[in-house]
Amino acid sequence: MRKPRVRRATVAAATVVGLAAVVSTGCGSDSGSGSGSDGGVTTLTFAASTFGDPGRGPQLQEWIDEFNASQDEIRVEAASVPYPTFGQTVLTQMGGGEGPDLVRFDMPEFEAASDAGLIAPLDDLIDVSEYDLLEQPDQFMVHDDVRHGIIFEASNYAMFYNADLIPEPPTTYDAFFETAQALTSGDVFGLAFRQTEAEEAGVWQDIFNYVYGFGGAWSDGENLTINSPENLEGLQAYKDLYDANVIPRGADAATFRRMFAEGKVAMELNNGGYATHLRAESPDLNFNVAPIPFPERSQGAILAPIVINEASSAKDEAATFIQWALEPENQVSLQEILGASSVATATERTPESLQELPFLPTFDELTDSSLPQIVLGFEAQTPDIRKIVVQNVIAALQGTVDLQTALDTAQEQATELVG
Amino acid sequence: MTVLEQTRAPRSEAARRRRSPLGSRWTPYVFLAPAAAFIILFQGVPLAQEIYLSFTRTSLLNPTRSTWVGLENYAHIFGDDDFRRTLRTTLVYVVACVAGSVGSGLLVALLLNRNFRGRGIARALVTVPWAAPGIAVALIATWMLNPQYGIVNRFLNAIGLGVPGGTILDSPTYALPAILVTTIWQLFPLTSVVLLSALQAVPKDLTEAATMDGAGRWWTFRAVTWQVIKPTVGLLALLMTIWSIRRFELIWLMTKGGPVGSTETLVIDLYAQAFDSKQLGTAAAIGMVGVVISLIVIAGSRLVARGAAKEGLR
Repeated sequence: MRKPRVRRATVAAATVVGLAAVVSTGCGSDSGSGSGSDGGVTTLTFAASTFGDPGRGPQLQEWIDEFNASQDEIRVEAASVPYPTFGQTVLTQMGGGEGPDLVRFDMPEFEAASDAGLIAPLDDLIDVSEYDLLEQPDQFMVHDDVRHGIIFEASNYAMFYNADLIPEPPTTYDAFFETAQALTSGDVFGLAFRQTEAEEAGVWQDIFNYVYGFGGAWSDGENLTINSPENLEGLQAYKDLYDANVIPRGADAATFRRMFAEGKVAMELNNGGYATHLRAESPDLNFNVAPIPFPERSQGAILAPIVINEASSAKDEAATFIQWALEPENQVSLQEILGASSVATATERTPESLQELPFLPTFDELTDSSLPQIVLGFEAQTPDIRKIVVQNVIAALQGTVDLQTALDTAQEQATELVG
Repeated sequence: MTVLEQTRAPRSEAARRRRSPLGSRWTPYVFLAPAAAFIILFQGVPLAQEIYLSFTRTSLLNPTRSTWVGLENYAHIFGDDDFRRTLRTTLVYVVACVAGSVGSGLLVALLLNRNFRGRGIARALVTVPWAAPGIAVALIATWMLNPQYGIVNRFLNAIGLGVPGGTILDSPTYALPAILVTTIWQLFPLTSVVLLSALQAVPKDLTEAATMDGAGRWWTFRAVTWQVIKPTVGLLALLMTIWSIRRFELIWLMTKGGPVGSTETLVIDLYAQAFDSKQLGTAAAIGMVGVVISLIVIAGSRLVARGAAKEGLR
């Protein structure tokens, strides 16, 4: 009679132990960021989409290797995360108290992470007064007197053109339109830009140049101005080019950039990082760069800050790496790798760089008139505002609504969103 | 004596069962425990968490800091025109997928059930789309529909039916049909193979008897074949419905729910809310709507099956 009781107890105990094992396996993962310590060496993870860029990734890895060789207490490991999913992947990790120690963000994600308290304040970790930081891009690294990032890369937007097809670049919007029309024939297109919802972030970057280039802005700093007359004019110019069939409609950035490299697209508005990519991928392509020929000299810039994850258990070590990166000789090395982009500090271009990329001064001269692709005053909500604006602009491109209605709808939806 | 033996025998049998390691009344629970634990841990707990999340305002960036908002998320999504459009798109997508995949699968199965040369090769070839991974199918379809290089545009232009600009996947009118064709192309092999096996279970003597009684092909199919394969069709329709409600990768890779939300189904909306807008509460509420729809579909199919069974008994 006792046996079954013993068996029942055994079964119950085994079940509890089994459940506990499953629970501990499922829930017992490590918390904290990617840093670790082994034999006195602290290993940091540095996540950036540029590590996967064939034109710059290997050189950036060599640059990091220089840091690793410079001392024996900290080791930085590069983590390449693809650009289209970078923000989503890293922000999800950071929201869960995990993620890399060091992150190279784009501005919209930087603002969202900063607003959510996922980024470590740098004021007590790095004394920036020691460095000659570029004022224009650096102002966006500080929120309410708290520094959250240091510029890793600042890349201004300009007009890339195929110099074989366009001997003299257009200097007005009308000339730009006419050039695009004149060069469109058969499989060759005068211009290319992103215009599909699948590339929401890219469309936002592209329409930013049209809005600011025609004197518009997404906000006045306090209120959204999505449907302002200037924005309408700029986006109408964008739509006119779309309607004129001077772009390869439906082609994504990867496709039309390949077409540009093959001489099948004559013009493209892109940032300085693209120049290095083109040189590496298509060394025989005869291209040049000029300022965007829109009425106002105001265009977007990719600002990419390097930040320290608030969840990192090795913030001091991460700060040591950033301080190393800010040293003048390392800034020069980084700028050489990034090509037409700028770095955090004022850095002279080398004669070799100027010989290889003679249009570098064009990019550098645009720094003062370039703006990060965020909605000023609503920085943290930029990704959500971006989604609303892009959806409505694409609705207008597709002819579902007229552009004025689309912008009015976007204004209404975005205003409701930001309260 | 005989009575005593008869009354004792069951008692000793019961005692033997209790002693046997497989005879204890706890034995079924022991066998069920691992599966039950798995379901509770990996489905029950997340579902409970999702239900809780749907009543909170929670950001993906700060998931531990959530605020209880009651039914606010549900009121928000049901008051949103975009969500109502998403429900409509989901309905259209699911109905078209089920009808298209089961219908085309049945046609192909009927063809493959006939005798012809090369039938074995044809049966093998038909399974290829089903064997291809969803991601590969989406990328191939996207490439085929590419306005610059895609074969579909070239063909449509050649026969004078080209889409203006060639942007099928960027057109609010053509994007959903393009996704539907791709989905059905991937699904029909499964339905055709399953229905083919069901067709092979149709008794030959019944069809021959129907033919001898003067029934034509249509009536033979309706009175004999359909009655045999009906339960299989019902099961396939249920599976296709559930899978279509859940389908993500194909739509996401082809259009990400665009253009202008024209291909946004429930799961795409859920993903966009959770990972683009980072609103876990809203995403959870959308997920719960999906769960309720799935439960309604399952309950409905069970009712239909029960009704059919009762009719069969009469």
